[in-house]
Formats: sequence, C-alpha cells, structure tokens
Amino acid sequence: MGTTLDLTWRLLRGGGRRNLLGAALALAAVAVSTGLLLFAVTANLAFAQRARADAWRHPGKAGADPVMIEALATDHVRGEPITVVDLAALKPGAPAPPGMPRFPNPGETWTSPALARLMKDLPSGQLAARFPARAGTLGRDALIHPDELVAVVGRAPGDPAMTAGRDRLAGVENTAAPTRIARYSTGAAAFAGVYQALVAIASVLMAVPLLVFGGAAARLTVARRDRRLAALRLVGATPGQVVAITTAEAVITAAAGALAGTVLYAAAIPALTRITIAGGGWYASDLWPGLPVVAAVLAAVPVLVGASAVAGLRRVVVGPLGVARRETPPAMRAVRVLLLAAVMAAFAGASGGLTGLGRLGLVIMLVFLMLAFLAINLAGPWVVALIGRITVALARTPARLLAGRRLVDDPRSAWRTVAGVALTGFVAGFLALLGGASSGTKASDRLELSVPPERAAAVAEQVKGRLDGIDAGVAVRPPSTGGPSADAAVVTVTVRGGASAVDRARTALAGTVPGHVATTPADEERGRDQLLADLRTGALTVLVVSFLIAITSAGITGASAVLDRRQAYAMLRLAGTPLRVLDRARRQETLIPLVVMGGGSLATGLFFAAPFAVGFGASGAVTLAAFVAVGFGGIAGASALSRPLLRSVTADPAPTPD
Amino acid sequence: MSGPSPSAGPEPVLTGRGLAKRFGAAVALDGVDLAVGRTETVAIMGPSGSGKSTLLHCLAGIMRPDAGEVHLLGQRIDALGERRRSTLRRTRFGFVFQFGQLLPELPAEENVALPLMLNGTPRRDAVKAARTWFGPLGLGGMERRRPGELSGGQAQRVAIARALAPRPAVVFADEPTGALDQATGHETMRLLTEATRHNDASLVVVTHDPSVARWCDRTVQVRDGRVQQPVPGAA
Ligand SMILES: Nc1ncnc2c1ncn2[C@@H]1O[C@H](COP(=O)(O)OP(=O)(O)OP(=O)(O)O)[C@@H](O)[C@H]1O
Ligand SMILES: [Mg+2]
Repeated sequence: MGTTLDLTWRLLRGGGRRNLLGAALALAAVAVSTGLLLFAVTANLAFAQRARADAWRHPGKAGADPVMIEALATDHVRGEPITVVDLAALKPGAPAPPGMPRFPNPGETWTSPALARLMKDLPSGQLAARFPARAGTLGRDALIHPDELVAVVGRAPGDPAMTAGRDRLAGVENTAAPTRIARYSTGAAAFAGVYQALVAIASVLMAVPLLVFGGAAARLTVARRDRRLAALRLVGATPGQVVAITTAEAVITAAAGALAGTVLYAAAIPALTRITIAGGGWYASDLWPGLPVVAAVLAAVPVLVGASAVAGLRRVVVGPLGVARRETPPAMRAVRVLLLAAVMAAFAGASGGLTGLGRLGLVIMLVFLMLAFLAINLAGPWVVALIGRITVALARTPARLLAGRRLVDDPRSAWRTVAGVALTGFVAGFLALLGGASSGTKASDRLELSVPPERAAAVAEQVKGRLDGIDAGVAVRPPSTGGPSADAAVVTVTVRGGASAVDRARTALAGTVPGHVATTPADEERGRDQLLADLRTGALTVLVVSFLIAITSAGITGASAVLDRRQAYAMLRLAGTPLRVLDRARRQETLIPLVVMGGGSLATGLFFAAPFAVGFGASGAVTLAAFVAVGFGGIAGASALSRPLLRSVTADPAPTPD
Repeated sequence: MSGPSPSAGPEPVLTGRGLAKRFGAAVALDGVDLAVGRTETVAIMGPSGSGKSTLLHCLAGIMRPDAGEVHLLGQRIDALGERRRSTLRRTRFGFVFQFGQLLPELPAEENVALPLMLNGTPRRDAVKAARTWFGPLGLGGMERRRPGELSGGQAQRVAIARALAPRPAVVFADEPTGALDQATGHETMRLLTEATRHNDASLVVVTHDPSVARWCDRTVQVRDGRVQQPVPGAA
C-alpha cells in the first residue's frame, strides 16, 4: 500500500503541466458537484426544520386530557401577514411553546423580533394596539424564518377569542379554531408537507444532472491516464497495481475536490439565505447541514469517484492494447425516444383531468414531470447521435464533418455538455408559462369581516363607532351563495388614505368579532399566490443550479476532449491543418446539439406547462429570453475556454505520447 | 547555386542549406546541407538526440531554422509566415508519423479525404479520390473501418494514403515503422517507397532501423547536428 501511494503521488506530481491541468479540471468538477450535492441535501433539511418550526402553531385534533387551548389566526400589516397564535392554559402545568421560556400569561403578547421592530416603528394605532402588552421575544425555534411576523397572545380560557369559531381563508392553513389540546403538534402541517415534497422533487431534478456530471468528472481523472496505464501494463505492472494506483489517484483528487466544494458551499451560505421562500429568507444555521452530513458527503464523494474510476479502468486492465483501440460504438436503441414519446402521450391524455383533481392532480403532475425529466435524459444521447449522423450526412466542410463525427462517436459526452441546458430548458419552458400569473390586482383598501347574518347590522354599527376619525365607508353585503363562507354576511369597510389608514382601521377593528380578523381581497390573493411564487423561486433556483452544472461541464468536457485528442490534433496541425478549422469543429460539436436540444427541451417544457398556462405574460417572455441568452452565452463562453488549450497542445512541434 | 551541392538527383525538389537550430544551450542542428531529388527516397539515420527530427521539421516548414535556408522547387520557404507555411504543408507535403495521426472518430476513408477537403475539394470528390488508394495499398474493404478497428500496419497504410492523397511533392516520415514489428515494418516501408515513387513524390524518412533504410535510394547519417557523409544506399 505504501509503495502504491508513493507511486501515485509521483504520478500526480510528475505528470507534467497538462496532466496537472487535467487533475485541476477534475478537482474543480468534483468541487462543484460536492457543493451542489450539499445544497440539494441541505435544502431538504432546511425545509424539515421550517416544518418543525411551523408545526406547533397548528392545534391539530382535540386531545383526550387537554391542558390548554390553542387557536391560530392571520392578521396583516402593510400587506404582510402576521401569524397570531392565541394560547390559554387550562391547568397550571401547561407546557411552554417552542421558542419561549414559559407559557404566556393572560394579557401578554410575545412577538418575533421582526414584529417587535415593526411595533416600535409604526404608531401604536396602526399595529401595537391590536395586541395586549408585549412581554417578550420569541426564540428561533418558534420561527420559520428570521423576518417572520409572529405574535403569541396569552389569554384566559374564558376569553371570547378562545371560544369563538374562526372562518378560514380558502385553501390556506392560516386559521384554526380554538382547540383543547394536551400537547403541541410536531408533525408537519399539510402545507409545509407540500413544500417538503416539492423540495424533494427539486433535489431529484438537481441530482440527475449532478450524477451525470459527477460521473464525467470521475472519468476525467481516468481518461488522461489511459495511455500511461496501458504502458504500465506493458512493462508488467499487475492489474491489481494498476487499479490501485489509478483509484488512489482518483480518490486523492476527489477528496481534495470534495473539501474545496464544502468550503465553496459554506462560503455561499450568506447568499443562499436570501432566497425567499414562503415570504422569507433563511437562518444561516438551517442552511448548514451539520457535521454528520458533511462528514458523510466528504467520505461518500471520494468513494463514489473511486468506484467510478475502477469501472472506467476495466477497459485498461482487460488488455494492455485495449485502450488504444476504439471501435465503432454500438448503436443506441430508439426505445429511449419511444419512452419519452410515451410519457408525453400519457401526459397529453391525462392533462385534461388533472386540474380538476386538486392536490392529487398536483402529485400526478409532478410524477409526470419527473418521468419526463428522466426520459429526456435517456433520450438525450440517442438524439445527440442522431443529430451527429445528420450533421455528418450534410457536412460539406471539414469542420462540420469533424464535429458530426465526434457527436456520433461519443454522444454521451456531448450530451453531458448540453444536458444541463436541455434539462433546464425544460424547466424554463415550464416557468415561462407559469410566469403569466397576475398579482396585485385585487383591492387592498376594502377590509372585509364575515359575521353571522343576524348580527351583521349590529356589527356594522359597532364598526362605525370604532372607526371614529378614519375616512372609511361601511356597508353590509348579504350572504352570497358561492364562496368559502357561504352562510356568512360580510361587513365591508372601504378605507381611503393609503396603507397606514388601512392599518389604523385594522387596529381599530381588532377584536370586534372575537376570533375574526378583517382582511382585504388583496390579503387573500396574496396567500393564494404565495405557493405559485414559491414554485417559481424554486424552479428558478433549480434553473441556476442546472446552469452552473451545464457551464462547468461544458468547460470541462471541452477541455478534456482537447486533452484526449491532443496528439491527433497536434499532428493534424503539423500536417498543415489550420487551427481555425479545428477550433470551428470544437465549437460546432457543442453548439449544434445545444441549439437542437436546448430548443427541443424548451418546447417540451412549454408543452407540459400548457394546461397550467395562465397566459403567456411579459415575464414569461423575459424568462425565456434570459434563458436563451444566459444558457447559450455561458456554454459558448465556457467551451471557448478550451481554445487556448487547443492552441497550446498543437503548438508543440514534436508531440510525444506521455 | 553556389557552395557545396550535396544533391544526388538531377533536379533537386527540396534543398536545405546551412541549417542550424538550437534549443537554449542545446545545439540540435549545426549547419546541415541536404538536397532531395525528384522521386528520390532519402533515409535519415543517427543516434537518439542527434537532431534527425529537428532536421525533418526544418525541411518540412514545421520549424524555422535559426540559420540557413530551405527551398522547395526554387522557392524559399523557411522565411514564410506560419500561415503560408501551414498552407504549404497542407498542399505540397505529406506526413507519416509513428502512430496516432489518424482521428479515431473518422472512418479510414474520411481520414484520407480530410486533407483533400482542407484543400478545397468538395466532400464527395474527396471521398471518391480517397477510396482509390485503398485497393493498391491492400486495404480493400476497410474504407469504412475506424482506426481503432485496424491493425497497426493497416493504420500506417491509411496514413500513407492520407499523406499521398493530396499529390504532394515531398512526403516526410518520422519513424513510420517504429511501432510495428519487423515484418509489418518492412511491408509498410515497401509500400511507402513504392507509392511515393509511383506518385512522382520524393520521400524523406527518419529511422533508427538500418534494414528500413535499405528501402531508400540514399542514407544520410546525422550525428550531433551534422551530416556525416553520404552513403550510397541499396536500391
Ligand atoms: N522542443 C525542444 N526543446 C528543447 N530541446 C529540444 C527540443 N526538441 C529537440 N530538442 C533537443 O534537440 C536535440 C535533437 O533532438 P531531435 O528530436 O531532433 O533528436 P532525434 O535525432 O530525433 O532523436 P530521437 O531518435 O530520439 O527521436 C536533442 O538534444 C533534444 O533534446
Ligand atoms: Mg526523433
């Protein structure tokens, strides 16, 4: 083992500048992979932490031996939601909620730091007067994100707020009637559960290209060694020694890369905390995966890369001469594309009914999305090979012919380069249509308070009395037949004078109808739009990650393609082939599949999103244009990085195999 | 023309005069004179590090000598810019190296057709012209095979076809049989010399192997960057 390590170290160090460059590329690839892997893992952990911080606010089912009453309501200030949890102890020993040192006494309000700041900044008549006196600040265990507005209000069990029912906003779990419970809920509320499912899917979407890319990185550590290892075999090294040396080399490179990737991820955390989901950013501590996970990743990445290296080495070990031989690759089967066609056909058939199915429809849709994603990844190399054959058939210039032949020869490597963008194109196409959702169109100056019909007139009078000094018109809307609160009348208060006047009215109306909070149509719309906005943020994050992978992989694949062929390229150049022709071939072999596949997957994404299209808005067009510009520009730029490499490998007038 | 005339043929195609090249402190060429006649085949021999490859590179316009001149058919070529020399190499010279000069992803016939296409021949004509080389070189039926599916000797014959396809004035070969066993090496040298003669081209071949040199009209011995003495070779 000692001699193996020694030999490995010497191979690494003594390999010359170009081999060092290869090692550096592999290291960079592993670093990016590791960073993104940590991101994908941590995203799940962070959402789980959010779900835990959210769980206790939802009372759940009434308990057998209750010790307290819990109710949940959502108020608003300046258009932002405030989560209000009302608590009343039934027995002395009622447990303290998460983030609080003790159970709140009746007449106390505990607030999140962000709400405390806002209460201080705004006149009391606009916010603070809605709640009993502030008694303390909630700890982070009680909070979903650092900027969340939360109030925990202690009340007596007999307080009207602890006995009156609540009406809930349609579809959003931000209200719960007072419930007698024995302990706080710990399981994720349904809504948080949806987020966790979504982030799990996003991780899968990121992991697929990541695995493809990581595999390429692992092979990169081996590819450069092929010839030298074959030479080692020729001089009589045993297969075991060859495997040990190469694996050790790959593992050393990967370990360094994994470490660099972890540092990279840690450095990115401050930026990542600004990704806004569910109305707020993140606690940095939520985005740090913790030592066990980091240790596991640091151990797993080198092992995976080493295993991949061993797999890639089999060819070398089989026969010393086996490496230099390159046969025509077996044709890939068209089944790959049929699979994609089948998924799309099934989706087209089912999509009509999906929107009517509610949450089940969403799940089915997401399953289809994943299937389509995997199918695209399977079909990709086949399509690249097809593109290559067409390019070869139509080629008139040497550069085009060379590009086409390379695509046919190694469609998987070309696919790796464009896979990120192709898969991303799918997401971008999807986003473009979802982006059309309208926002901020509902009235934000009309407060509505739902009340039992028989009490409507009395409440309206009471409201008028409370709104003294506020320029507002009060009216009663009789019960409507449709809608979520069909049997309630609605007292409407139309406030003139902007956001601060609305907040004064909200404050004045606090507690008019116990347990009922006055809300504007804009508030309700905001709740409904949140999920859509978060979906877009999530998709955008996946988009950025895919681009990162695509651009890095374009750079690495381009460079390793040049390194792999350096001898043939150098000799072509000696024989008078202009560098321009080689460079054009190198560019075309990336750009041709990029244009076809990127465009194709964009169209596929548009197709899948079509049933959900709210309208192809301006933001959708911008998303699309940005996708095209960033994707193609980034990839073209990254692959242009191998141009100086091409120049340098062909500048040597006397190429020798190393 | 004045000075020593080491030419052997009646009309020298390629002439190198007073060629010198150094790499830092190392002197690779130290005033070499060499002339290659029309359809003449010249072997360059000498110990390792004696400057054989450097001489070949200077004659072929791959490298610029520090001093001296190279003329092709009366035209001075060593002073040309890289672009012009590159065009010259592509159109007037052919190259055969030890191994690895064929692009692995191209079928044999396209490897042969590539230099023709680079010179502006339409693809269809280039491939058609490339195919005519396969029969005479004993490669019939291997037109569509890729280099990885050929033996070392077959691959070298494809390389010979590629070097000769653009109808060059001179073919340069650096250890063309270095990676082959003796029998295959001899067969390859026979094909190389015959094919160049048959196509009205001259041949400059660098080799370690005296038995390979026997296939050439003339052998030039190089030692420490100088030509020793012209030895009449076996025809
Ligand atoms: N690019 C270079 N940089 C530095 N020195 C060089 C370079 N190319 C050749 N040399 C030196 O020039 C001298 C002649 O080299 P050359 O390659 O011409 O020898 P050769 O006769 O072809 O040897 P071999 O038979 O081993 O191929 C050697 O001393 C070599 O070290
Ligand atoms: Mg040499």
